[in-house]
Amino acid sequence: MESSDKGYSDLSFFRDWMKIQEEDLLELHQALELNADGGDHTVELKRLAEKNIAHFQEYATTRRRLARDDVSSFFSPSWCSSFEGSMLWVGGCRPSIFIRLVYALSGKEFESNLREYLQGRRIGGGLGDLSANQIRLINGLHLKTVGLEDKLSSKLASLQEDMADEPIASIAQESRGHGPPSRAVNEALSTHDDSMVNLMEEADNLRLCTMKELISILTPFQAVAFLAGGKKLHLCLHEWGVLRDHEHGRHWRMSGN
Amino acid sequence: MAGMCCGVNMGETETASPVEPSSMSARKRRMEIHQFNFVPSDSTVVPPLAGLKRQKIEVVVEEKPKGSELARIPDGGEKKKSAPPRGFVREFPKFGMTSVCGRRRDMEDSVAIHPSFLSRDNDFPSGFHFFGVYDGHGCSHVSTKCKERMHEIVKAEVESAGGVVPWERTLSRSFLKMDKEVKDWCGAGVACASTSTCRCELRTPQCEAVGSTAVVAVLTPDKIVVSNCGDSRAVLCRNGVAIPLSTDHKPDRPDELSRIQESGGRVIFWDGPRVFGVLAMSRAIGDTYLKPYVTSEPEVTVTARTEEDECLILASDGLWDVVSNETACGVARMCLQSRKPPPPRSPGHDVTVTAAGESSDKACSDASILLTKLALARHSQDNVSVVVVDLRKGRPN
Repeated sequence: MESSDKGYSDLSFFRDWMKIQEEDLLELHQALELNADGGDHTVELKRLAEKNIAHFQEYATTRRRLARDDVSSFFSPSWCSSFEGSMLWVGGCRPSIFIRLVYALSGKEFESNLREYLQGRRIGGGLGDLSANQIRLINGLHLKTVGLEDKLSSKLASLQEDMADEPIASIAQESRGHGPPSRAVNEALSTHDDSMVNLMEEADNLRLCTMKELISILTPFQAVAFLAGGKKLHLCLHEWGVLRDHEHGRHWRMSGN
Repeated sequence: MAGMCCGVNMGETETASPVEPSSMSARKRRMEIHQFNFVPSDSTVVPPLAGLKRQKIEVVVEEKPKGSELARIPDGGEKKKSAPPRGFVREFPKFGMTSVCGRRRDMEDSVAIHPSFLSRDNDFPSGFHFFGVYDGHGCSHVSTKCKERMHEIVKAEVESAGGVVPWERTLSRSFLKMDKEVKDWCGAGVACASTSTCRCELRTPQCEAVGSTAVVAVLTPDKIVVSNCGDSRAVLCRNGVAIPLSTDHKPDRPDELSRIQESGGRVIFWDGPRVFGVLAMSRAIGDTYLKPYVTSEPEVTVTARTEEDECLILASDGLWDVVSNETACGVARMCLQSRKPPPPRSPGHDVTVTAAGESSDKACSDASILLTKLALARHSQDNVSVVVVDLRKGRPN
């Protein structure tokens, strides 16, 4: 069963993380509302964006430590809904979705203010107001990120293929009956786990670096709007996924906790 | 009335002497403006004066003689057997360009911009400017090759044609040569595949299924020559009206459908009309395996420039799939108008005028960015490349 002490620590870690996400989102929304008064809140917004990045950093550090014990639970987390789980890439989101989210949030704001933009007016300095230089930098980041992502995807593919090769494949063929796994099995799977931990570290690094670079391209106000948009999306996807699991009669572990 | 024109001093020396000193005796100021503040990494913009790290353009502002549409600027000091035609402006094009990967994971668009791309001699004393948009499919290497080579091929063809250029024949030959180069290069590429950085690694037969659209505009002082293969498009904005200067080569275009069928090919509907159910355009550079049904013979249009011309837009289908010609022109036009340079003021206000010079290029850049953002906002699923060229000739404000 998954109710080992360690399982709970992974679970409580996730629960804490989602709580932080909710608190951060609230704070981000408050900051965006505050900004509507027209005053200069650059310093506060910048500080808030940095705080959020720091939270991502802490999350990555902690899960790296926990993953050394049980990496599989991060590739296939029992605390995620089936929907979220099916969309995971190396234990998290694809970093390139940050750029897609920027385009989506920017596009929505842009079309609703098209006339003003055409007249050369700046509207609120939000994500719809991305400058030529920002677009160029975001495009550069996009191309770079996709390239690095593809390299990691290729590494993941190799790891997946390794399952059917030496030594795991032969150990399976020679395995007799049931009972606890032999030393050979433990050694083989543990080596495989190490590779998975390394891969997840690389993926987490890429996620963090992409996020940091994107935030540095955006103005503090745009950064806060982007972070708020991202968190809102994450929390919604989680909630919708849980509801769908319920609809399909899947009892979700986190409920009732 | 004060007029304004921009020109590049193409000579080796700065000691330019006016062709007609009397007309230049009016107020004249020189400004240096910095240009090309926006150059995306996947595109090339080559300054006309190679070798200079920071390109300076001279902008001459002068009192324009009444009744004259165009002002004259000095010859740049090159030795010439004859002076350029009277009333002729050595015009530097104002343009803006944006090219983004957008919602795709592969960047297969390329853009090439080469102001004053011809050798400056007697036959071509002034700016002939080259603009090309190439939208690759299958892989990026054909569009990249077009970006690197097309303008050189066109240059060689135009120069060999001499004085009066037969544009249609010249550009047709250029496109066919470009196509042949791509074919030969791909064939040779098999041996050196390891040096290739593209997705297909130049392996046959994948390499034969790679191609690119090509829409090329050569801007001369009095003409806009557009040569097109595929579904990228050139649109002229003239007095607020959108005039397409190219017609997309889609396999279901009646004349294209007949051409394909007459050559023994078939158009099959598979996610839209496609040549043999594969390629959703009927002409392209590359795509060796679909020849001759998919041809690289371009359609060429030659349009006389008028005073009412406002701008030229070249773009890949990432824009045209979601933005109509009319909307694109409307956006570009509003952008150019709302950022109209203020009229030159009294002497001594060079700063203002410099800012005006910059704002004009910025206007084109703003227009290309706005169109790109509009395409992204309207959920374009493709790479988006947009070039906007300001065609307004120093008109009085």
